[in-house]
Amino acid sequence: MCLAIPGKIIKLLPNSSYGLVDFNGIESKVNLELVKVKKNDWVIVHAGFAIEKLKEQDARQTINLINKDGKNSK
Amino acid sequence: MEKILNKINQLAKEIKKDVTLMEVCGTHTEAIAKHGLKKILPPNIKLISGPGCPVCVTEQRDIDNIIELALQGIPVVTYGDMLKVPGNKMSLEQSIRHGAKVFTVYSTEEIFTNPVIKPLNKGLVFFGIGFDTTTPMTASIIKKGITVYSTHKNFFPAMKALIVNQKIKIDGFINPGHVSAIIGLKHYQQLKLSQVIAGFEPEDVLMAILMLLKQIKDGQKKVENQYQRVVTNQGNVQAQKLINEVFEIKTVYWRGFGPIPDSGYELRKKYQQFDAKIKYRKILTGLKIKPSPKLKLCRCGEVIKGLIDPADCRLFSKSCQPENPIGPCMVSREGACNVKYRFK
Amino acid sequence: MSNIVLNNMNKFINLAHGSGGNESDELITILKKTLKQNSAWRNQNDDGATLVTTNFKNQKLVFTTDSFVINPLFFRGGNIGKIAACGTINDLTVMGAKPLGLSLSLIIEEGFPVSDLNKIMASLAQICHQEKVPVVTGDTKVMEKGKLDKIMINTSGVGLAKRVISDSGLKPGDLICANGTLGDHGSVILANRFNYQTRLKSDSATFIKEFFKIINLVSAAKDPTRGGLSQCLNELAEKSRVKIFVDEKNKIFKKESLAIAGLLGISEYSLPSEGRFVFGIKKSNLNKVKNIFKKQKKDLVVFGEVQIGRGVFIKTKFGERPLEKPRGKLIPRIC
Repeated sequence: MCLAIPGKIIKLLPNSSYGLVDFNGIESKVNLELVKVKKNDWVIVHAGFAIEKLKEQDARQTINLINKDGKNSK
Repeated sequence: MEKILNKINQLAKEIKKDVTLMEVCGTHTEAIAKHGLKKILPPNIKLISGPGCPVCVTEQRDIDNIIELALQGIPVVTYGDMLKVPGNKMSLEQSIRHGAKVFTVYSTEEIFTNPVIKPLNKGLVFFGIGFDTTTPMTASIIKKGITVYSTHKNFFPAMKALIVNQKIKIDGFINPGHVSAIIGLKHYQQLKLSQVIAGFEPEDVLMAILMLLKQIKDGQKKVENQYQRVVTNQGNVQAQKLINEVFEIKTVYWRGFGPIPDSGYELRKKYQQFDAKIKYRKILTGLKIKPSPKLKLCRCGEVIKGLIDPADCRLFSKSCQPENPIGPCMVSREGACNVKYRFK
Repeated sequence: MSNIVLNNMNKFINLAHGSGGNESDELITILKKTLKQNSAWRNQNDDGATLVTTNFKNQKLVFTTDSFVINPLFFRGGNIGKIAACGTINDLTVMGAKPLGLSLSLIIEEGFPVSDLNKIMASLAQICHQEKVPVVTGDTKVMEKGKLDKIMINTSGVGLAKRVISDSGLKPGDLICANGTLGDHGSVILANRFNYQTRLKSDSATFIKEFFKIINLVSAAKDPTRGGLSQCLNELAEKSRVKIFVDEKNKIFKKESLAIAGLLGISEYSLPSEGRFVFGIKKSNLNKVKNIFKKQKKDLVVFGEVQIGRGVFIKTKFGERPLEKPRGKLIPRIC
C-alpha cells in the first residue's frame, strides 16, 4: 500500500500534532507527527499521516501528473 | 516521454542479452499494468513482480488468527484489502455474518474519529499489516493505547532473500518508493545489485528502467534515486525513531519464503500490554485449524517470488477471481494475480 | 409551498403517521400541499392518478423507477429529495421521453425529524415545479425505529418519447461527450463520509432543456450513475458493439474528484454523477452541439471517440490502456 498524494498545509491545529491539508480542493485533517513542517509547506500523505516534506515545485509536478495535464518536466 | 522510450530501446539493443528487472512494490505492479508499460518495453527487457503486496506475503496462520479473534467477539479494525482474504475457515468479511464486529479504515486515525469505532477503542484489535511505510502509523496508535496484532514487515530483508535463494536471475530492482521514503537508501547498498528507487507515475517508472539499463550496460551495481522529490538519503528519521521505540525486529515467516531473518516488526516488551498476541495468547495458541483443501492449491507463494506468472496457476481466472478469490494475491489490489486479472 | 406542521407540536414522525388513520391523513394532506401543482393529471384521492391525453399517437410510453437510500441525506449541492426527483426525471429524459408525472413512495423510520422531512420534500417539490413534472400519486409508510436507516424514497415516472434513444446506437467515428465534468456527486458523498472538507457540490440536476435541443443529433445516450463513467462507457461500448477511446486531456474530472480518488485509492471512473448524461454524436455535428450548449449556458465536455473494435480504452502517452469495468462492492449508498 504505497498510496500517497501531495497536499499543502493550510493550517496547523494548535496544541496537537495535526494540520489541515489541502489536496487540490479536498481538505483533510492530517497527522503531522512524522514531519517537521509549518503552514504552507507541502507534504506527501500516506494513510492519514504526512510522511515527507516536499518542495512546492515537486509537489506541483506530481499533481500535474495525477491531473493528466500533460505537463511533463522530464 | 518518447525520448526516454527511445533511449530505453537503444540501451536494450546495446545490451543485447535478456535482462530481468523486478519491481518489488505492489503499487508499482499496479501502475505498470494499468499503463501497459510491459507491452512497450523492448523484447529483451523483462519485468517481473516481487513480494510487494503486504496482504499477499502475510502467513495464512496470521490470517486465521485474526479471523478467530473476530469470531470470539473481539472487535477487529483493519485496512480494506484484508477483508476478503480467505482464511482456512472463512474470511473476515464472512465472519461478520457470524456476528463478528469488523471495521475497515483508510487510516488509523479513523479509530479515534469514527463514531462507531471510537467507543470500542479499549477492546478492539487493530490488524497491523504493511511494510515500513505503514508501520509508523501503527506505532503511533500503540502509543495511544490501542491493542495491535502486528504482521508488519521490514521490507528490505525480503529483497536479500530473493537474491540469496536465487531460482530466478534478477539483474536489477525497481525499489519501492514510499518504503524508501521511510527507511532511506543505506540498507540497499548491501545487495550489490543495480537498483533504482522509483516514483509511481508511469513517467517515473520508465525513467527508473532507463537508469537501470544504463547501470547494467556499464556493469554498475549502484543504488540510484529517481524519486528524489520524496525520498531522501537518510529517509524519515522521525518515523524510524518511532518504529524503533515501539517495535523490535524479529525473524518472521513470509508466505512463500518461510522464515526471513530480521524481517518482522514485533512489539517491544515495554508495550506488551498492547500486543494482541500476548493479550489473547490463550485463544491463539489453542487454535487448531484444519487446512482447507482449496487453499492448498493456491500458488500465491510462488507468484510473489516471481517464480511463476499468475497465468501459470491452474486456478487463475477460473475458480480464482476477484469476486471469488482463493488466495491473497487475487484479493489485494496490489496482488499480482488481481492486477493481471483486472488489466487483461 | 407549505411546511409540514403537525398537530400536537409533533417534531418527529411516529408509527401512527404510517398507519392509515387520522395522523396518516394529516401527514398526507400536508405532503400533498407541498407537492401540489397544476397539470393535466387528476387524482381524486383514488388509488391512482389519471391522465387524459391524445399525445400517445406515434409516441412510445416510457416507464422507469428508482429508489434512493443515499447516506448522508444532506450534502453540498442537494439532498435525497432533490436526487429522487432529478434521478427519475433524468432516466426518462435520457431515453428521449418528456416526463409526464412521478409517483412518490416514502418509507420513514419512526422518530425521523419532521424538520428534515420538510427540507427533503421542499427540494423534491422545487424540482417538480421547475420542470413542470408533477408528483401525481404516492404512498407513505413508517417503520419502527431501528428497522430502517432514516428514510428511503422511491420515485417512478412515465413519459412519452417520439424517438427512444438507446445505449446501443453508437457508430464508429462518433464523438463521446457529456454535459459537464463527471463524478462530482460521488466525490461530494465520499468527502462527506470521510470527513473531508470541500467546496465541490454534487452535480445533482435535471438536463431536460439541453437534451431535447440536441436529441435529433444524438446516436446514443446514458446516464453515469451507479458504477460511474466506467460502467457507463463499458455498457455503451458493449451494447453498441464498438470500441470507445478516451482522451483524458479533456478535463473529464474536476481536480477534487482526482484528489479524492487518489486519497481513497479508488478509480475516478467509478464515481457516480446525478445530473449528467454521456452521449454520442457524429463528428460533423460537433459545432452545432457546441453552439446549442453555449446558448443554453451549459458545459460541454468532449472526451472520447468511437472506433471499430470492442472495449473501452484510455489514451496514454505511448498507446492505450483498458478501462476496467467496475467490480466488487462499489461505493455503498451513494445514490
